[in-house]
Amino acid sequence: MDNARATRLVETALRCYPARWRRRHGAEAAELAALLIEDGTPASSIACSYLAGAAREWLTSRPAPRLAAAACALLVAACSLGLSAGLLASAAPARAASTSQARDRTHCRTDTPAAVAGVTPATSRPQAIIWGAGHGRSC
Amino acid sequence: MTVSRRDGSTGQDVLRRVGEASVLVLISLADGPKHGYAVIQDVKELAGVELGPGTLYGALDRLERLRLIEPLPADDRRHPYRITGPGAAALRLHLDSLERVTMAGRLRLQLGGS
Repeated sequence: MDNARATRLVETALRCYPARWRRRHGAEAAELAALLIEDGTPASSIACSYLAGAAREWLTSRPAPRLAAAACALLVAACSLGLSAGLLASAAPARAASTSQARDRTHCRTDTPAAVAGVTPATSRPQAIIWGAGHGRSC
Repeated sequence: MTVSRRDGSTGQDVLRRVGEASVLVLISLADGPKHGYAVIQDVKELAGVELGPGTLYGALDRLERLRLIEPLPADDRRHPYRITGPGAAALRLHLDSLERVTMAGRLRLQLGGS
């Protein structure tokens, strides 16, 4: 890689840092990169290092990192709840169908809802659990 | 994490959580002020570790936030950094802790016959 291209690559990576960081370290960082390139360090590896550093800098130098972390946690929790609710809603009709079918079958047994891992029962009534059938449709 | 010193007092090993790069940078600055390029060369020589420039600046910023190092007036475009009093104390404490762990590890290897 020629010098001009290497310099451009490093400068592009340095532009990814926050302005505050660039004002403080920008000139020195560019000079350091030039020295390292002279030593034989590949410009791409220098650029990668600066890109990773820029990502870290953006993540750690936010004015209120705790607030941002709390917002992220809330978002994840909301998404999880939404997903769970969606799964329960989509599973309810199939469960109801399998329950009504199970009443007529002898090889199905009645058990408590707690036997189904990861599924929260909609009611406290005992439900028919179909053993050996994936969705209960074969039952 | 709190560790016991040899004199019986206790102190906070602040370097336990800053990462290996920051500890290496602090060790490099222990014998006098250096700028970024000199730190990279020194760390490569003393530990065989090639610090990327992005990692270096991350470590310098982290150490400065913890007041373990401080920047000196710029020499041309380069900012030399020097270790502070608390930085030297923290490094000593961390190295003592590492030494105890190293000795315990060697002893166990001997006892285990490995």
